[in-house]
Amino acid sequence: MHEVIATHRVGFRLLKKIHETDHKIIPVYLLQIVFQLAQTYISLFLTAGLVDALRLGEFRQAIVLTAALLGANLVGTVLVSLTEAAIRGLRNVAGLAIFVWLREKTFSMDYETMENPEVAEKIAFSEKTSDAYGSLGMVLARYRDIFQAVLSVILSTSMVIWLCLTRPAGSGTFLERLAGPLPSLLLFGCALAGMAFFSGKVFVKFSEKQKAYFEANTGMEMREDYLLNQVFLNEKAGKVIRLYGMQDMLMGNAEEEVKKSKAYWGGMFDVMLRTIQANNGLNSLFAIGSYLLVTVKVVTKAITVGAFTQYVGALNQFGNACFIIINCQVRLRNVCTYMEKFLAFLDMEGSHVKGTRPLEERRDGAYELVFEDVSFRYPGSRDYVLKHIDCRLNIRGRMALVGPNGAGKTTFIKLLCRLYEPTEGRITLNGVDIREYDEEAYRALFSVVFQDFKLLAFPVWENITAGFERDDDKIWKALEQADAADIVKRMPKQLDTYLYKYLEDGVEISGGEAQKIALARALYKDAPVVILDEPTAALDPVAEAEVYSRFQEMVEGKTGIYISHRMSSCQFCDEILVFHEGEIIERGSHEKLHALGGKYTELWDAQARYYA
Amino acid sequence: MQKQTEKRTGKGRKPGSTRAADGTAYSIGDNYRYAFRCLREKEGPGAFAVCAGTTALGILLPFLESAMAAAVAACLISGREAGSILLLVGGYVILLQAVRFLYNHLRETQGKLLTTFRIGMWIEFYRKCVEVDGSYIESAQGQRKMAQARENLFSGEGSGIEIYVQLFWTVISNGLGLIVYGVIVGRASLLLLLLLLGQVLLMEAWEKPLREKTYARIKENARNRQAFFYLRRESIAIESGKDIRLYRMDKWLLRAFHEVVDRIVSLEYRTALGPLTGGILEGICRLVVNGIVYGYLIWQMVQGSVTLPAFLLYIGIVSGFGVWMRGLFQALQQIVQTKGHMDRYREFMDLGTGEEDGEEKVKNPGTPHEIRLEDVCFRYEGGEKDTIHNLNLTIPAGERLALVGLNGAGKTTLTKLLCGLYRPTSGKIYLDGQDMAQMPREEIFREYAVVFQDVFSFSFPLAENVSCVREGLEDVKRLEESLEKAGLAERVRELPKGRHTVMNKDLDSEGVTLSGGQMQKMMLARALYKDSPIVILDEPTAALDPIAESRMYESYDEMISGKTGIFISHRLSSTRFCDRILYLEGGCVAEEGSHEELMEKGGAYAELFNLQAQYYQKEEMHSGEKEEEAHA
Repeated sequence: MHEVIATHRVGFRLLKKIHETDHKIIPVYLLQIVFQLAQTYISLFLTAGLVDALRLGEFRQAIVLTAALLGANLVGTVLVSLTEAAIRGLRNVAGLAIFVWLREKTFSMDYETMENPEVAEKIAFSEKTSDAYGSLGMVLARYRDIFQAVLSVILSTSMVIWLCLTRPAGSGTFLERLAGPLPSLLLFGCALAGMAFFSGKVFVKFSEKQKAYFEANTGMEMREDYLLNQVFLNEKAGKVIRLYGMQDMLMGNAEEEVKKSKAYWGGMFDVMLRTIQANNGLNSLFAIGSYLLVTVKVVTKAITVGAFTQYVGALNQFGNACFIIINCQVRLRNVCTYMEKFLAFLDMEGSHVKGTRPLEERRDGAYELVFEDVSFRYPGSRDYVLKHIDCRLNIRGRMALVGPNGAGKTTFIKLLCRLYEPTEGRITLNGVDIREYDEEAYRALFSVVFQDFKLLAFPVWENITAGFERDDDKIWKALEQADAADIVKRMPKQLDTYLYKYLEDGVEISGGEAQKIALARALYKDAPVVILDEPTAALDPVAEAEVYSRFQEMVEGKTGIYISHRMSSCQFCDEILVFHEGEIIERGSHEKLHALGGKYTELWDAQARYYA
Repeated sequence: MQKQTEKRTGKGRKPGSTRAADGTAYSIGDNYRYAFRCLREKEGPGAFAVCAGTTALGILLPFLESAMAAAVAACLISGREAGSILLLVGGYVILLQAVRFLYNHLRETQGKLLTTFRIGMWIEFYRKCVEVDGSYIESAQGQRKMAQARENLFSGEGSGIEIYVQLFWTVISNGLGLIVYGVIVGRASLLLLLLLLGQVLLMEAWEKPLREKTYARIKENARNRQAFFYLRRESIAIESGKDIRLYRMDKWLLRAFHEVVDRIVSLEYRTALGPLTGGILEGICRLVVNGIVYGYLIWQMVQGSVTLPAFLLYIGIVSGFGVWMRGLFQALQQIVQTKGHMDRYREFMDLGTGEEDGEEKVKNPGTPHEIRLEDVCFRYEGGEKDTIHNLNLTIPAGERLALVGLNGAGKTTLTKLLCGLYRPTSGKIYLDGQDMAQMPREEIFREYAVVFQDVFSFSFPLAENVSCVREGLEDVKRLEESLEKAGLAERVRELPKGRHTVMNKDLDSEGVTLSGGQMQKMMLARALYKDSPIVILDEPTAALDPIAESRMYESYDEMISGKTGIFISHRLSSTRFCDRILYLEGGCVAEEGSHEELMEKGGAYAELFNLQAQYYQKEEMHSGEKEEEAHA
């Protein structure tokens, strides 16, 4: 029982969310149910009348009833068709909504939370299972079936009770006594109770099996997804697989995985099949019993032959409805098991306390940022990525961050941009802890080009303005500064050209070109702090030299931060921070640090000796 | 029919799964021959027995239901003794329930069978993925086509080949049902049969253009769903999270989402009109047909030539006829909808696998070869100009060659041509004078060990990642040596299960993720294990810090002793330990020679080198000056 309630708690919450998304969806589904039931039950009554009329030779009445029957059918068909047409669109609204909710939630979460592997797994799980099982459309369809079945049970039960209450013509024979109201009510009651009892048993047994099965095989969908997308469809893997002749190894592993998948999904069917069989068996017994009850009623003349068709119809409806309720409950449980995880994700506290303090607008760009004894480690991890960082960023200075891989440079930037929060210590802006500021306003201070920047398959201008208002002069200026104007001028529709070919038939751009457009986006934002994270790793020496020479211009009157493994970049920065194992171990100008003969000298010489 | 509709609604929707069917290279019959061949291979002839059995019972069951209504009515009005009536009715009902039970069992068995069949097909798809040409999988077009092809097998139980096969049997069952019922009606009255046929023809005249329109609709909505899928992927990617927050792209993305959803929904509404009028038309048809049938039967009853049970039977048959007809048209419509999946899938599966390769063996496998290129041109599929143009080049055995040039000069393409991943569009490549076009790719691949820029591991055991064969087949000694040389041995010893440790957590929750630097070493170990006579390094150090980079150079140096080595790097420093440098420009060799020669020449290479060196040399000058000053 617990489980049933849990399932419907999830189910109803989802229905509520669907209703909030579009108020039309649920009423239209309800209308369809009403129309369908009305059609079914009206037909039952009219057919019964027709049979009786024909049997008694009242043909005139038979014709009237036929006309009514056919007319009701037409009306029913038209109404159901109308709701069906509305549902065609609406079920898409419901089906796609889940993906939008998921994004609304992820966007509102802290980056740090989103990056957490556990959370990332939750997101991926929600996505994959929605794909695999049909998501909200499924929930909606199952509820429609259940609701219709429940109504049908109520209608048919009241008809059957009515049937039981009919009195046979005589009361002499055993059958006639059996067909009396009380005995037949008792019989029906027993049958109903028996059916309910055994159905419940079947259901519980099945639920447990299904749950155990699910738990024993958790993550199957994710494994399947990995194999397909990260191995076989992975464009980067293709060449490695071929060159190193990994086909046999991969196919061997894949065969094992596919075997597991087959067993998993087959097993799911087996569990399902066994319940359906048990359920079916019960249903059959009930059907046999109910036919006999109605037959007894007819032969004892408690009801007419016409009424026979009506009541048998009602009992059929009852049996079918019970079957559907259990079947759908089982399937709904299936869906709700993973939807529960999805809802848990939506409920997750994904954010740090948000400040509201507005930012002081400064035309001179004099924003002073200070790290005060800042340490950072990932939640759940013991090792600090950054340790006791004390550092003041010079206003309008040029700063280079260097150091070995994994020394904490990018983490430093993420903390600065408030993508992460310090585990210990604080970062201040003009003396105030940055957590106190309004997040959006604070982030407006930074123009960052990350190593793994993202452009979208939208027009160039939208990529540069990041979806905000278009200002062509400003866009061209940014493109010019980023050396991307020529690239865009060569495109067929210039600023209106779509990138890539996902959404429209746009242009494909090389990695270097994409980087320049990303740079233009950063410049368009025109923030007082410009940060470039490894912008030249994929660039050839000419393009690299150009970025170097333009960097000065780009950060004119702003604070510039440059991260690179190319030590040459240190030449045009006033100050260099050398990161090592989470600490800033050296700081100063190139001349000063090189003369020091420490880590910086080591890094510099490792590269410079080849150019000597 | 209740359960049958249940099944239909139970099919569920699968977002982003419908794909276009523009060309019709494969006929429906052809697709079915193909699907059934696969079914036979995967599930054996028993599968057909199950499907045929389900179909047969699917026809029998509704017929029995109609017949029983008549039989029971006949029984009830026969005036028999109560006991025998009860016995007869009980007998009928038990028979009916037995058939229903069997039918449900078979139907579920069929469902399981078709799902496991679809999953079993994954392995064929995977095999094809590793067999197709390497350039296909890397091209944007190829990626798109593969994404479409996969829909046939990977988008849930309600789509693709599974539903396609199932629909065949649905058509058979509805079609046969239609015929059987038609015959029954025809035996009673030819006129009625003609009436029913007329109804079918009228509905077909209506449905046929609808089916044809379905193509266009599916295609248009496929674009929208593709767009939706794209947005889904990009907006949820973790690495996008930073840009989304810093540039406040969230509103933009959500707006785009809502636009696509609106487009999908409005298209569904626009096309709902066809089925809606179809449904209403059918309702009217049924009204007319049933009106005539009921009228005719009642008239016959007035005449006394039809009894009540017969009336019930015919009414049941006629309305059953309508259900078959609806089912048939629905199934045909769905076949058209699903056909696109099958077409795309087959297009992919029918791609050439490089069988056109020759059979010649490499003459001296495992020894350094002389590589010679003769007028080699290469153009990407759909490209406007050659990426490599008329290239002539000889690489003597054991040479150390550096390939330099600007982005897009064709360096990576050239290495892919050398190692046989790509085939020249024209021209020839010789390995020790032997034409590479005459050799199977696998033979050529064996002679090359390439370390690419992007480092990643497969989520299988470490040993498999290095040896590239399944665990147990690897040469343990060689594996250990390679790990040792690559500087990874110590780390491997620390791992919980040593070399058997599974990488990452995708397939094993106890898997271990290596750091970037360690992964790089693993790539190196893989190349060492392969021990091929020609080694190509394609920008393997781009993401490394200066010290790691420097160390990597040293280990490469050792690794290629006695072998042919080809280097690509934007860091021109790496060219210093090469015998010869090729400066590529626009797919041609613009300059070649040793570093000293090229510097002396003062051409493009020298310019490039100086451009990069100036930052470092300035320093040398600086410190030189300082030293001089100090001396003074």
